[in-house]
Parts: sequence; C-alpha cells; structure tokens
Amino acid sequence: MNIFSDAARYVWIARTSARSNLAYAGEVIYRCSFLTIILYIFLRLWTAVYEGSGVDRVGGLTLPQMLWYLVVTEAIYMSAPRVASEVDEDVRTGRLAVHLIRPLSYVGGHLSRAMGDRVVRFAINLMVGTAIAFVLVGPISLSWSGIAMFLAVLPAAFVLDFLGMFLIGLCAFWLESTSGLALIYTRTVMMFGGMFLPLAIYPAVLQPLLKVLPFASMLSAPGLMFVSPSLPLLEESIVIQVAGVVLFAGMVGLVQFIAMRRLFANGG
Amino acid sequence: MFRSFVDYLNLCAAYLRININAQLEYRGAFYSQVAAMFINDGAWVVFWLFFFTRFPVLHGWSLKDVMSLWAMTTAGFGIAYGLMGNAHRKLAPAIAQGELDLWLLHPRAVLPHWLLGSTVPSAWGDAAFGFVVYLGFVMPDAIHAVTFVVLSFVVAVVFVGLGIATGSLSFYIGNASTISDQWRDSSITFATYPPTLFEGKVKLLLYTAIPAGFISYLPVQTLRSMSIVDLLIAIAGALIVLTFGVGMFYFGLRRYESGNLLSMNG
Repeated sequence: MNIFSDAARYVWIARTSARSNLAYAGEVIYRCSFLTIILYIFLRLWTAVYEGSGVDRVGGLTLPQMLWYLVVTEAIYMSAPRVASEVDEDVRTGRLAVHLIRPLSYVGGHLSRAMGDRVVRFAINLMVGTAIAFVLVGPISLSWSGIAMFLAVLPAAFVLDFLGMFLIGLCAFWLESTSGLALIYTRTVMMFGGMFLPLAIYPAVLQPLLKVLPFASMLSAPGLMFVSPSLPLLEESIVIQVAGVVLFAGMVGLVQFIAMRRLFANGG
Repeated sequence: MFRSFVDYLNLCAAYLRININAQLEYRGAFYSQVAAMFINDGAWVVFWLFFFTRFPVLHGWSLKDVMSLWAMTTAGFGIAYGLMGNAHRKLAPAIAQGELDLWLLHPRAVLPHWLLGSTVPSAWGDAAFGFVVYLGFVMPDAIHAVTFVVLSFVVAVVFVGLGIATGSLSFYIGNASTISDQWRDSSITFATYPPTLFEGKVKLLLYTAIPAGFISYLPVQTLRSMSIVDLLIAIAGALIVLTFGVGMFYFGLRRYESGNLLSMNG
C-alpha cells in the first residue's frame, strides 16, 4: 500500500510537470522551428554526400532513413530538461534544504519532474519532426516490432541522461558554476551518442569504445531501433543501459552522500 | 567627429576593463565558462573531422574551408559579445520589461552605452577558439592571418547589428525574446555549413533576412580569393546589417514605454 501511495506521488509530480510544459506553447514552437532548420540543413548535407559518393547507403542507411534517424536523435536531444541548472540553483540558493524536508526523495522528485517534462517535449518534437521528414523525404517502412524495440530502449535512455545531468548539477557543491560542465556534458552526449552521424560512420578504431559507452544508448540506439531495428542491437543496448543506469545511479548516490555532509542550513 | 570617436573608444576600453574585472570576481566560474565554450566548439571540429575523414570533399569544400567557416563565425561572435555582451539575448527582454530607463538618463548615446554594459564570459572562449582553429588547421601565411583578424572584426559588426535588430523586435511586437533568439541562432547555424549546400530562394534568404552570408560565406570567400572587391563587399554587408539594426532600434525607441523600475546598477 505504502509503495503504491509513494509511487502515486511521483506520478502526480510527473503529470503536473507534463501539463505545465504544455502551457508554454511559445517555447515549444521555438524548439520546433529550430528543428525544422536543422533537419533542412542536414537533408541538404546528406543529399550532397549521397549524390557525391554515388551510393545508396551510408553507414547502412538510405537517405530517407538517415533523415528519420536524425528526427529521432534530435527529438531526444532537444527534449532534455535543464536538470543540471535546476540542481545547481537548488544548491546555490539553499532551496535544497526546503526540498529535503519534504516527504519525497530529492532525486526521485527531480526524476519525476524531468520525465514529465521530457515526455511532452519529446512527443511534440517527434510529431513535428515526423511531419517535416514526410515533406522532405517521404515515409520509411516501419514495423510494429521495430516500434516496440524503440519504445523499449527509450525510457532507460531518458533516465540515463537524467542521472548524468543530475551528477553535473551536484558538482555545484564544489564548483562556482556548473554551466560549463553541463555544456561539455551535452556536447559529449551529442558527439559520442551519434546524434548527427550514426556510429558506423565514425573511424573504425573508435567504434568499439563508443558502443560500450552509455552515450550511444541514449541517442544512437533509439534512433537505429526506429529506422533499422535489429534484435542483437536491442539486446546489446539493454545490457549497456542497465549497466549505465546502475553505474550512474551509484555515482549519484555516492556524490549526494558526500555532498550532503557539506550542507549547512541556516534558518530563514 | 574624430574626438567623439576617440571618446567612444576610451569608453569601450573602460567598460571592457570593468566588465572583465567584474567577471574575475568569480574567476573559477569565468575560466570554466571560457574553457567549456572552447571545448563545445571543439566538439564541432571533431564532427567535421570524422565527416571529412569519411567524405573528403563536400560540393567542392574541404575540411580546411569548413574550419575557416567555423573560425570566422566563432571569432566574430566572440569579439562581438565579449565586447558588447548586452547585444546578446539581453536587448529584447530589457525593452519588454522597461529596463532601458537607466541608460536613457546617461549623457552618452543610449545604444552604444547599453551595448557595452556587460560581457558574455563564454564569448571569450569562442574568440580564442576561432583564432586557434584558424592558425592550427588552416596554417595561414602572414597576409591571410592579418586578413582573418580584420575580417573577424567585420563579422563582429554583423553580430552586433544582428543582435540589435533581433532584440529591437520587442519595440514592435512585445516581448520578442524567443523569436529574437531564434532569428540569431538560425543565422549562426546556417553560417557554419558550406554555402554550396544551399541554392535558389534559400540562398537569397541567407544574404537578407538570415544574414549567414555576411557572417561567414563572404568573409571566407574573401580569404580564399584575397580580392579587395570581396573584402569591400564583406565590409559593406556588415555595415548594412549594423545600419539596419541601429535604424530598427532608434525608430522603435520612439515607442518605448518606461517600466518605472527602481533598481541599483552596481
């Protein structure tokens, strides 16, 4: 009973966050119009590549599949909430002390809010991206099993990214500003996650390393699962995601434990 | 006229010193932002390195050419918003919230004074990145290096003009922060991809409404051709963007309404 009521609290937070996100239509439109520009530029870029090299497939993908891959990876990347800066602000302003007296886990509360936020943003990005890709390159063939595999790796991709950003935010206990670190983290995810280039295009010597890092399972794995699903890739991605979540969650627990010992709350 | 120009240069130097000293009060944060932006830009270099390793030529453009685009854009951006940080993302919300009052009371012309009012710490990382990448990747001779420095200031003029134009939208349509950011970000995004990818009406757009052509295409073309005509066109383009921005600002200023804010400006 207790577990259910606890879970209901977090679900309620996620739901509230999702609803409040829907209220900010301006920001959503801004993000979508920027997505349009990115997709248009990459369509031009990849069209030049396919025409120039005279091949049907690059990195195992056709031109329409390449653009749809980009739709998915961009939709995931652009849906990321500003977890690091929120945690940073909690630490810097002392708001953290207020969070800690609530009957909620600090990480759990942030996770619920971030997931509610992200699901809405991702859904909108994906819808807009789908419409743009339809106009630019037309549809690609999708299968129910492929969509199921895509949906199977998506939640862990979001959770992994959340834990990474949360860790960065906790660094505010030691650093004057975490904004630089957050920028480096997002660029690391972008580059090593294969956002613009499928990992198959990266230099062969780097590919084994990139495949075992958690970043590829945040972007590349869902993107590939959507356009060109395969069971071995699904199995590989789930193993890496589980290991990544355990590792990141362990690091969050450890860093938070050390950080809380430095916390001083002065009335007010 | 000349004395007034020298006066403004002195004002610029004084503000630069004050802004940098203010940032150095939190030097850890300042240096980390500069370094992070340098690394952020470096991620794009890695992207293009991987890209050109696999596909060596893109519509006649090589890695060196694309690095020149990046170097030009980041150096110009860094100089513009390092010196005139208020032209970056601050004008639109300031107009909408009636925060120009303080600046209207100063004896100096309001726009240059406002522009110089702050620095963007990460912009210094962009500026450093631009010069390092150009020297490191393109390895220019002396004349190209000097032309690059001149052009980076020309591009900075474009960025300042663009910042004023996009921010001044708030005079006309209310709080234009979102659309202002979108306009500038679109220009920067287009500016970092080879112009040969775009054609027809889009190309026209890139030399008018989205001035990516003046941010990087024309300056890089100048570096490739070393033609004085191309240089003059790049300078003329930058002055047109700046004049347009300044015109939008002062025309819009007539519609400005005070926010009746009481604030301390330290």
